[in-house]
Amino acid sequence: MDIRFEQAEARFEGRTVVHPLTLSLSERRIGVIGLNGSGKTTFARMINGLVPPATGQVTVNGFDTVKDGDKVRGQAGFIFQNPQNQIILPILKEDIALGLKSRKLSKADTEAAVEAVLARFGIAHLGERRAHELSGGELQLAALASVLVTQPDILIMDEPTNQLDLKNHGLVERTIQGLDENVIIISHDLGLIADFDRVLLFHGGRLAQDGAPAEVIARYRELAA
Amino acid sequence: MKTLYVEGDTFLHRLSPRTKLLGLAALSLVLFLVHSPAVLSVAAMLGGIVCASLRLGWRQSWLRLRPILLTIVIVALFTLVLNGRHDALIVATRLTALALFAAAVTATTSTGDFIDEITRLAMPLERLGVVKAADIGLSIGLVIRFVPEILSRYQAIRDAHRARGLKPRPLTLAVPLIILTLKNADDIAAAIDARGIRAQK
Amino acid sequence: MTTRDLVLAALFAAIIVALGLVPPIMLGFIPVPITAQSLGVMLAGVILGAKRGGFAVLLVLLLVAIGLPVLSGGRGGLATFASPTAGYLVGWFFAAVVTGYCSERFVDRSQSGLVQITGFFLAALLGGVVVDHALGILYLAYVTGTGLSTAFIGDLSFVPGDVLKAMISALAGRAVMVGYPLLPQRA
Repeated sequence: MDIRFEQAEARFEGRTVVHPLTLSLSERRIGVIGLNGSGKTTFARMINGLVPPATGQVTVNGFDTVKDGDKVRGQAGFIFQNPQNQIILPILKEDIALGLKSRKLSKADTEAAVEAVLARFGIAHLGERRAHELSGGELQLAALASVLVTQPDILIMDEPTNQLDLKNHGLVERTIQGLDENVIIISHDLGLIADFDRVLLFHGGRLAQDGAPAEVIARYRELAA
Repeated sequence: MKTLYVEGDTFLHRLSPRTKLLGLAALSLVLFLVHSPAVLSVAAMLGGIVCASLRLGWRQSWLRLRPILLTIVIVALFTLVLNGRHDALIVATRLTALALFAAAVTATTSTGDFIDEITRLAMPLERLGVVKAADIGLSIGLVIRFVPEILSRYQAIRDAHRARGLKPRPLTLAVPLIILTLKNADDIAAAIDARGIRAQK
Repeated sequence: MTTRDLVLAALFAAIIVALGLVPPIMLGFIPVPITAQSLGVMLAGVILGAKRGGFAVLLVLLLVAIGLPVLSGGRGGLATFASPTAGYLVGWFFAAVVTGYCSERFVDRSQSGLVQITGFFLAALLGGVVVDHALGILYLAYVTGTGLSTAFIGDLSFVPGDVLKAMISALAGRAVMVGYPLLPQRA
């Protein structure tokens, strides 16, 4: 994984949300923390080109997020805060297959890939179910399956444990720990990122601290107090 | 959502959706050109035979056809009073024949087949730059996906009315329902784009 | 069309379908239940504008055509288009487009609330009542051969209800615009 920000800035309706930022990311497990409105979600959305930089440049594994948007989105999968809104088609299997459509695989290959990713997350029994019948934890796993079926190199997750009960929280946490992909997580759940390789702290649209979890979390507690 | 398609392996099931749709269109043209009550009655009877051959059962067939047959009866009675017996007979037999054949096409073509056919029909439009053909299937999927979600949201808003002792009114129900639903559009669109489902320009 | 426009249209189509499945809602001041689906058509134009509103209604008609029972009372399938009242149904599309087009022209975010509501009401009246009923009457007169004036008299009994719906959609359109503005603005 090789993510580079070169003086990249994000603006929204004339307001700067992320100030010009230069940074490179290559660690396997990266956490992003900060208060509400600190710019951390925008930062994450800049990585896969959902928010294009107003000035400067962002590249992922050498691809520019603006010029090669499709390639970048193939490299970096994104799981949003509300898994409810990520399952787009009525039946889970159909939805997961949808992400493979641009690959132009044969029907059998598509089906095999869908079965494999469902099995990987232990939700093979949910394939024929309707998306609106799934529970919070099941939805989060389904969202993971729908994104990872295209085999991205990097997975970005926005608040993956938000609103989950204790049991589902543990399930999702263990699943994330077991992922082979590079993972970037934006979260208020400090326990989830406590043993990550690197943590970024955003404050007022700027990178306030960058380093090992313990020191960055300590600084976050100071800022929040 | 349950569709009006009925699984089976009759002659009509095996015909391609395009043949059925073109056939239905041609038939409707012919039916409007014919003005003989006798010929139209035969057409209506044929339609009845086709529907019966699908083995839907009387109850199912009646449930499906009741709303439209009722409308036809009302319109035919109107015509009877205003224009006389001859015209009323033509209207009733022509519309009944059309309704029966149309219902037979619906019952023998699956939703998936229809979507594939519509996508193919939209290809020339895609070349003109009017729509992306693949968007049609995606949009239909989106609608079916989110209807149950909206219904449970509607229920929640109704319950909120009750909990606060308010009577549910069209305005106080519709406005929050619409705002809460449409606010999800940004998230859903971002998810579609992030998964590369619609190739970007 | 952007992905967001596509999703907005699809969500609104889903709202129109859902409005056909919920029990009729009672109005406050007169004891008449209203079927909310044709209200949804006017709302699509008022809230989303011509292009997205028209696409939303087109999606509903497409769902009807492919055999889903999405109209109120569980109606659906190609037979619905063979009904003598099919003109009103197909007219929904033009109603939403005209309502949307007029809303975009008549209503501006800088206007006062009363002006906005009046603008939306006129737009919904033109699209949802004038255009939709005109198409309904034309087709009804054509299939029955009864002549326009008879079809028009038969139609009149449905006009008051639809005028009322135009009023409701004007109020709702303005309330949604305040809470979550989506209507495309004139340049």
